[in-house]
Amino acid sequence: MSAAGLAPDETRRPLEGRRVRFGDLALQGVAGAAAAAATAVVGLIAWKVIEGAWPSVTTFGFHFVTRIAWNPVVGREVFGAASFLFGTAVTSLVALALAGPLAIAVALFLTELAPRVLRAPVTALVETLAAVPSVVIGLWGIYVLGPILRDHVEPSLHSTLGFLPLFGPPSSSGSSVFTATVVLAMMILPIVASITRELFLGVPRELKEGALALGTTRWEMVRGVMVPYARGGIAAALILGLGRAVGEAIAVTQVIGGGVFIHWNLFDTGDTLASKIAESYQGAATNLEVSSLVYLALILLVFSLLANLSAQWVVRRVARRQGVGLARGRAG
Amino acid sequence: MPKVGTFTRMLALAAATATLAVAAAATAGAASTMSSGTTISGAGSTFVYPLVATWTPAIGGALGFELQYSPIGSSGGINAVTGRTVDFGASDAPLSPDQFTACKGCTQIPWALAATSVMYNLPGVKNLLHMDGPTLAKIFAGRISQWNDPAIKKLNPGVTLPSTKITIAHRSDGSGTTYNFTDYLSSVSPAWKSQVGRGTSVNWPVGVGGRGSAGVSAIVAQTQGAIGYADVAFALQNHFSYFAMKNRNGKFATPGAKGILAAAMSDVKPTAGTNELSIVNPPRKFPLAYPISTYTYVIVPLQSSKAPDLRKFLFWAVTHGQEPKYTAKLRFVPIPRSVLVVAEKAIAKIHS
Amino acid sequence: MSTHSLTKAALRAEGLPRRRATNRLMELLAWLAAAVAMGFLVLIVWSVARRGWSELNLDLITKSPASGFLTTGRQGLANAFAGTLVIVLLATLMALPTGILVAVYLNEFAQRAIRDAVSIALDVLNGVPAIVIGIFVYGLFVLGHGPSAFAGSFALAVIMLPLVARSTMEVLALVPGALREASLALGVPRWRTTLSVVLPQTVGGIVTGTTLAVARAAGETAPLLFTSSVGVGTQVHWTPHHPLQSVPVAIFELSESPDPKDHARAWAAALVLLVFILLASLSARWLATRHRSRLGTSR
Repeated sequence: MSAAGLAPDETRRPLEGRRVRFGDLALQGVAGAAAAAATAVVGLIAWKVIEGAWPSVTTFGFHFVTRIAWNPVVGREVFGAASFLFGTAVTSLVALALAGPLAIAVALFLTELAPRVLRAPVTALVETLAAVPSVVIGLWGIYVLGPILRDHVEPSLHSTLGFLPLFGPPSSSGSSVFTATVVLAMMILPIVASITRELFLGVPRELKEGALALGTTRWEMVRGVMVPYARGGIAAALILGLGRAVGEAIAVTQVIGGGVFIHWNLFDTGDTLASKIAESYQGAATNLEVSSLVYLALILLVFSLLANLSAQWVVRRVARRQGVGLARGRAG
Repeated sequence: MPKVGTFTRMLALAAATATLAVAAAATAGAASTMSSGTTISGAGSTFVYPLVATWTPAIGGALGFELQYSPIGSSGGINAVTGRTVDFGASDAPLSPDQFTACKGCTQIPWALAATSVMYNLPGVKNLLHMDGPTLAKIFAGRISQWNDPAIKKLNPGVTLPSTKITIAHRSDGSGTTYNFTDYLSSVSPAWKSQVGRGTSVNWPVGVGGRGSAGVSAIVAQTQGAIGYADVAFALQNHFSYFAMKNRNGKFATPGAKGILAAAMSDVKPTAGTNELSIVNPPRKFPLAYPISTYTYVIVPLQSSKAPDLRKFLFWAVTHGQEPKYTAKLRFVPIPRSVLVVAEKAIAKIHS
Repeated sequence: MSTHSLTKAALRAEGLPRRRATNRLMELLAWLAAAVAMGFLVLIVWSVARRGWSELNLDLITKSPASGFLTTGRQGLANAFAGTLVIVLLATLMALPTGILVAVYLNEFAQRAIRDAVSIALDVLNGVPAIVIGIFVYGLFVLGHGPSAFAGSFALAVIMLPLVARSTMEVLALVPGALREASLALGVPRWRTTLSVVLPQTVGGIVTGTTLAVARAAGETAPLLFTSSVGVGTQVHWTPHHPLQSVPVAIFELSESPDPKDHARAWAAALVLLVFILLASLSARWLATRHRSRLGTSR
């Protein structure tokens, strides 16, 4: 953001040495109220979620996070988040592992390798896909991806890599942790790819050409100049993608099948924090169950806050460092 | 300087248009509510949804209401009516004392009678395979996982069963159908009763979860070898096969009118106060009884601003609504006279 | 000896063939990865287009869902399309002025500390999962008042706000300070400067940001599931104080049905939604580039 465009500091203090007009105060007041409201909403969200989760927090305490249970039968009620934390961790991290490298490759392709005539349309395609609603991806996951995975991919993975507990017996219904993971990867891919593409486009030409002039191959230039330069931004993009995956409820609940256990088999059904909430909230049987679901939402909120804030921190740190580097580069 | 004042004018125009639009919408909204007649909103059981959906166009004609029913599961319905976010709730699971207290002056009225079918998807194998309670409990507990298991073969001599894996389809939301089904499994299997128990939502040992009876049906439709449970109307809608269940008399009964009616004869007196009836796994002297039958209830606040319309609607439901033209195709059975009397008395108590 | 062969010899001594081979391999992998990724993404669009197209007809928008069970006959999702129109329109009416005001405050009035704080808050808001926002609005409005399209619009407005605010901030920052100073120097009061001089320059950017925010909001399911999905009728209603059906929620419910006819309608609705979002995104980006180039030449 260019400093040139921000209202200069002198114009920011209308009350100094200037006739105070009612209009100025009014605009500042109204606009300030809007800004205050926007900030307040964040606090309000946190408050409402904590309030809703409170009965469950006081009943189960921190052990909720480590317990594998979800029994709403009256008289035997016990709830715990561990199996959903595991499901969230597995689906999001594996999805990131699948989508991250692919996204970086796509970004590289779009900035370095693709013929010029392809660049604009493919870029538009990637950015459009970032906007596909999750319910549509979920619909596609149930009726297109699920059967393909169930009938072709999972059996072959099981027969070749079945010695790994990850690739146990294939699912029979198409709904599985694996399907959910692939769906999440499809959602992360466009986001990370478009951010990374912009980062790569921002690598100063001089640096790239300098490396090439020294005789490096294109790959060596990418590895030695582009990626290190964009490293911070790529990290932020990956963290943002992870945050997106962690928070996705609808598409995941459509394809994951449900279940309260910790299995290593990717082809089994399972549940994540977000998908459990989407699945059970409307039909929660008791108040304690509702409160426990909001407790899950609280954990989810904490995770996404962490992801968001750390991505922001990385971006700020990188911007500061790169700003210094650029200044140095120019002066030199 | 470019266009000073034009923007302010545009802003004013936009604000005026927006206000007009909102005002128009509001007036139109008010007008449409008044002219289109009353709407009665309800939510809950997916079990009774086929019947309520069949009633809806008829009620529009006969009583002039628009009935808006959301099949979100029995627990959702109980929550919704407790929070007074709808005018009535529908649940196949009777309210517990705690739920009655939370609902603050609600009455529970049995208004329909049908059965939970246990449906399966096994191409090439006939409809109405024989099944009994203990074996079914073992299947749902995950202890029997293949169709050609000896226990299933023993119940069906002469039928060739494939080695297909059994996939269980169960409800992931709070469901009265689940309550009915687990009630049955608990009564035929002490192991099930202690390990899992009965409830609108239980800790399923195995299986894939679907939302609503529609969700369970979708899983059964898509998965070869799947077994699921839902109101028999869903099995009919999707042309699923379903089991003939062995009752206490030793006969294999089907979830049709005869089987449900025989089961209903095992409890014809609603419990005082809660109007609850339990007809699961009826005793031996009902040879035709289908053991997974159930009443389903409408939960209404005793005091409601829409009391006259609610009374009209509910009276219609328990009398005209039970006629064969609505119930026969869906395998709902008209509620017996003794229950009708109690229902009508309860409906009369609703006041504004 | 030519320079060329000198260099070649020197390079060969450093293992150039191996480095060239690595380079070739990496390029191949990059092409492959891009092809796989693109293939998947194209597959989604293709599936929706193919399945949705065959089921697309005017009935989808003009007819309501059948009320009744085991019914045959033509039905559509008119109630969902009407509901989405109302809900998204209301959400835009809530989010647009607020977002612009927030951006104006941050860019024109706020001290650096407040600007940073509110900026962080906006980014945090942007990252809150939609389902948590659904639970939030449920606790705020639905408990006690019942579900309504208003509550759904509020939830969507909360999601749209950071998008509108951020894109407005970006274009406000592009307006040269000199323009503001010139206006103030001529004696135009602060508020008038902002409204009549600065903001008109940003209209293109605001429209872009809003279009993208609308595209996002139109596709959100989770918030509406909690606020405007219980008690919806099959008839078309326009009243926002009742719960109204919406297209994403309708697709969600239809996707879980066992009836293939329901799936067909889900694909068709998904196609309409996708086309709408595509048009919105593309036009927003086209506007953005046009606006940026116009601003660039006006300096």
